[in-house]
Amino acid sequence: MSVDKLSAELEVILVKRIQGDQLFLPSMPAMATKILELLRDPDAGLKEVAKLLEKDPVLAARTLRMATSAAFAGGTKRITLQEALARLGTKALKGLLVEASAQKLFVSRNPQINEQLKTLWEHSVAVGILARDVLALTGQGDSESAYLAGLLHDVGKPVVATVLLELERQLTEVYQKGWIDSGEWLAVIKRVHRKVAVALAEKWQLPGPLVTCIKESGEYDKADRHSLANAVCFSNALAKKAGIYAGDVDAEDNDAIIMIGRSVIGISDDILRTLTKGLRERVMGLYD
Amino acid sequence: MPAILTVDDSRAVRTIVGKQVKELGFEVLEAEDGVQGLEQLAQAQVDLVLLDVTMPNMDGPTMLQKMREGGNQTPVIMLTSESKRSIVSGAMKLGISDYILKPFKPEELRQKVLSVLQGEPGADSVVADASSGASSSPTPAEAGPGMAPAGGRFVDIVVVDDMENVHKKLRSMLPNHVSMNAYTSAQAALGACREKVYRVVLVDTEIPDVNSSVLAQQIRVLQPHAAMVALTLRTSNDVSKEVREQGFDDVLFKPFRPEVVDDFLLRYFDNQDFLQVEDNVLKVAPFSGKADRIDRFYGRLNGVFPEALEKVAAACYDEVVLDVGSPPMEGDRLPKFVVAVAQKSQEFGMTLSLVGPNEVRKVLGGYTETKDLKIFTTVQEARAGVAAA
Repeated sequence: MSVDKLSAELEVILVKRIQGDQLFLPSMPAMATKILELLRDPDAGLKEVAKLLEKDPVLAARTLRMATSAAFAGGTKRITLQEALARLGTKALKGLLVEASAQKLFVSRNPQINEQLKTLWEHSVAVGILARDVLALTGQGDSESAYLAGLLHDVGKPVVATVLLELERQLTEVYQKGWIDSGEWLAVIKRVHRKVAVALAEKWQLPGPLVTCIKESGEYDKADRHSLANAVCFSNALAKKAGIYAGDVDAEDNDAIIMIGRSVIGISDDILRTLTKGLRERVMGLYD
Repeated sequence: MPAILTVDDSRAVRTIVGKQVKELGFEVLEAEDGVQGLEQLAQAQVDLVLLDVTMPNMDGPTMLQKMREGGNQTPVIMLTSESKRSIVSGAMKLGISDYILKPFKPEELRQKVLSVLQGEPGADSVVADASSGASSSPTPAEAGPGMAPAGGRFVDIVVVDDMENVHKKLRSMLPNHVSMNAYTSAQAALGACREKVYRVVLVDTEIPDVNSSVLAQQIRVLQPHAAMVALTLRTSNDVSKEVREQGFDDVLFKPFRPEVVDDFLLRYFDNQDFLQVEDNVLKVAPFSGKADRIDRFYGRLNGVFPEALEKVAAACYDEVVLDVGSPPMEGDRLPKFVVAVAQKSQEFGMTLSLVGPNEVRKVLGGYTETKDLKIFTTVQEARAGVAAA
């Protein structure tokens, strides 16, 4: 069976599962879900949120780290979790919870796939940083949401990878032989990941603009030049150009996306230099 | 004058593009479709083509392909409402230099046209390498007799003012080693800015029929690293804020006052211009001003020499040579300056030798503190003298 045919069949299977609500989509971690629910409650105070957050040391540490970062005018002074929450605000905390939940998807028990997913997560972080900076530097659009939008643009890929692994196990048992190689594996993921990501984003009840962005970030929207989707589309190509990506890149197509995006969004040479300067270090520095 | 061909089936687009391009000082040729575009290219020397995609008779990609097949490598910017990746990617394979999506902002068109005509690197280089560079070839031009050569690619100051007297006055107040170009028209200044690299650009805010703010923006595109200074009449109002809002970095008031010009020089020109360091030789820049500026001249020298000496000491020299040239010798300013340099040199563990004409020798010989200093006629003699000792 050719790769195209196999990809097409897998795509049909996955889409059918999504539409029939039969695709196993990972839930948001329980703690993140609980905290998000609490944040929706207008009567809940920071004290209660902090109390819940304390139960997850990793999330609590991440919250403290974010609150004491330069972005939130942090300092060297120690602060309590409650003070950290007050400094961050609800929107940033929600973003942090979604980010932490998404990161968990980019981990696999299979060492080879895990390595690919690690690079894919680094790519997602790069796209998040770039998308935020693109809108901030052009002074247009919602740069705060752009980071999360960039981070989640490929969130369907690890989910599809997991489903493919499951299918591979089943087929190997039937045919007693190996399945497709990693290149083909990536090609299948590339074809279906966006639909899966949209289904996941809806299941996680992410804000509407983020879901729209995941759905539409493959092409530019000429009508809304500074949309989240355009920032993510451009940033995705730029991160690939900078070499922060797992998988093959069609260089000519990628260059065309960058050239179009520069005019659509209004990216000058100066902005482009600022965006890409030290990008790899910034990505690595975020999760060292 | 560079010529730009705009190929678009929309008369409105051709008119808008033509207006923008003319304002940059370029000649404009027009074509309604690819067929006419190729005819124009066959008849005239064109430096850049602005090409639409969808047109009757022959579309943009076909015209581009025919150009390249015929060996025509004129730079092309695609200017279109088409944003399909496959079309842009195909055009990139045929070597388009850039892409502009309609509707576009005039600044984007101006910036990309100038960038392509200057042969600046594309996004590839910008992404891969954070360093930037303008590439252009130098053209011969002279600032005037007896002045520092301003015909090279790197020139200190360019002045754009419709009054020639302003050029002459400023030139007379600048030290000879500061090079300057001057233009009375915006077009001529833009032409020069395409070919040279300036440190400071002075633009008159009252040139007839010229929007100085727009001119400053255009020059800034061509001279991204230069300081942009507005030349304006001194008034009772503080216009500094106003000119900054117009895109200038600073303001220099007319009529020029010596102390203001001195401050301007101090602000924009490295202090080493007044005291140049080469190996272990400190060379004092010539003084060309009036007597009332002598104190400022020595004040400046006294301010910069310790750092210059530190550089020489850091390079592990045991000796330092101070070439004072022909400095103003009124009063005891020169001996005081030399004594200060000698003391500081001693602190760094270096011996000091002086280079200067006989007049300097006479003046320094008259003071107890400086009469025993070694004074040579040339730097070579000073180096040889130090070696012999």
